[in-house]
Amino acid sequence: MAKTLIVGEIQKGALRESTLELVTLARKLGGDVVSLLIGSGVGGVAEDLAKKGGGRVLLADDASLANYNLDGWQRAIRKAIDAEKPELILISSTPIGWDVAGALAAALDCGIASEVIKIEPDGADLVFVRRMFNAKFDARLRVSGTPRIATVQPGANEAYAGSESGSVVKLDGVGGDARTKFVEIRVAPAGGHDLTKAEIIVSGGRGLQKPENFEAVLKPLVEALGAQMGASRPVVDAGWLPHEYQVGSSGQIVSPKLYVAVGISGAIQHLVGMKNSNFIIAINKDADAPIFEVADVGIVGDLFEIVPALAAAVKTAKG
Amino acid sequence: MKILVCLKQVPHKDARLELAPDGKWIADANIKFEINDYDNYALEEALRIKDKDPATEVVVVSIGPDRVQQSLRTALGMGADRAIQIWDDGLAGADSLAIAKSLAAVARAEKVDLVLMGLMSDDTNFALTGPMLAALLGVPHATGIVSEKNEGGQLEVERELEGGALEVVKLPLPCLLTAQTGMNEVRYASLKGIMQAKKKPLDKKSLGDLGLSAGAVASKVKIEKIYTPPKGKGAEILSGSKDEVAQKFVGKVKELGLL
Repeated sequence: MAKTLIVGEIQKGALRESTLELVTLARKLGGDVVSLLIGSGVGGVAEDLAKKGGGRVLLADDASLANYNLDGWQRAIRKAIDAEKPELILISSTPIGWDVAGALAAALDCGIASEVIKIEPDGADLVFVRRMFNAKFDARLRVSGTPRIATVQPGANEAYAGSESGSVVKLDGVGGDARTKFVEIRVAPAGGHDLTKAEIIVSGGRGLQKPENFEAVLKPLVEALGAQMGASRPVVDAGWLPHEYQVGSSGQIVSPKLYVAVGISGAIQHLVGMKNSNFIIAINKDADAPIFEVADVGIVGDLFEIVPALAAAVKTAKG
Repeated sequence: MKILVCLKQVPHKDARLELAPDGKWIADANIKFEINDYDNYALEEALRIKDKDPATEVVVVSIGPDRVQQSLRTALGMGADRAIQIWDDGLAGADSLAIAKSLAAVARAEKVDLVLMGLMSDDTNFALTGPMLAALLGVPHATGIVSEKNEGGQLEVERELEGGALEVVKLPLPCLLTAQTGMNEVRYASLKGIMQAKKKPLDKKSLGDLGLSAGAVASKVKIEKIYTPPKGKGAEILSGSKDEVAQKFVGKVKELGLL
């Protein structure tokens, strides 16, 4: 690999962890590593990235880049590509990555592998490994042409922990108008249902089939265990439970002593929200469901038979 | 206002997926298909705009073999005005950019004001086609939106970020939006709608009809292989009758000191 360009991200004024994960990936592939950092008044963060393995860090610093905007980012990335001629461009699969990477690939008419978890050298070529079908299968992709873009799932690689010598170079002419105007960040009001402090969470998914079953089937187990009820995204999307029940990357990130997943297959965005639980028990009819990969204990079978039996046994044990 | 809604047909959520013998895709000859969930929300949003302003025309487009006509008929039954199916042998195994180029030809020919589609598809999960299409059309876009409203010709949208935060942005028309799941409540096709849908136009177009050649949509990204992910340590599976399993479950909860 001759040269890799890392497109970094800043979160709450500091380097986003996923950027250091891109550094790990780029350094494993070998060759030159250059980075791009975009923002306003973020020279300090660029220095930080240079010391943490980002190599030569191109800094696109302009008042118009204070908040993410599509056109500003496109302009900055295109400038960095023109200046550095990288063979590979790495971007994190974040809300910014989703917005910017596909448009960049189309503008450059180049190949892109998105939501990658691993990049493996294969002779002179690269193989891009990613999940498909909501993590049921893995796929190996080949991407032709130069440059190639890969967006990488946050959390799939270790953050680079080494300290290196690097430098910061300011890019000129990165300011300008944007068609998409930032208005504000809204934080949804916190609901009364805080799962982050719960000792035991019993969450239900689409496997419960209809909203009434949360009350009829899941709640007896929740109450027997003295747990809090949670839910997966499809349940909340369907309006069966309010958003404050949602566990996952766009809901609450939880780490209880015991997490019981009922009828949840284990989409990546749900796993992100609960995989750090101390102990995980999953109940699902599909023995191949991804949830069993993160669970400590699994029960394969019909939840409508199993969950009432569990609730009754817990009640009996409590006496 | 003229809106183009791009729909992808994907394997049904409850379909049992098996690998195809060549290991490059799933065996899809005998499974049920449905409209990609994310795209349903995009379609619903377009129909809501039409509900408010009946002069709005909603055109739905899908790329795929003749089975996608069923999804297009469903969309017409829900209230879309016209449907376009694109299919060509040259599009088998097409990558996201090839799909976006084909959709761009339709969007240009239709001269649409707004393109709506899902953030990603439930089969490949690439999340690329929307932003690619916007770039090809030279219009701004916003991805993963959970609301949109028209403010004097500008659209104000909420994009879903992580941890419950939303980013509010404004963009001018024409533009492209990709929908996050849950952004609205998707309607069902009424019986009357289904009857009317039978009379609504559904045109089938080839690459040639769109002024494209197979070379113009050659794929740069190829799936070499798909496979069941290597199993990690996996879970300890509790076996036995439901009562035996329940006793083992109680045992585990006791070991954790929670009973």
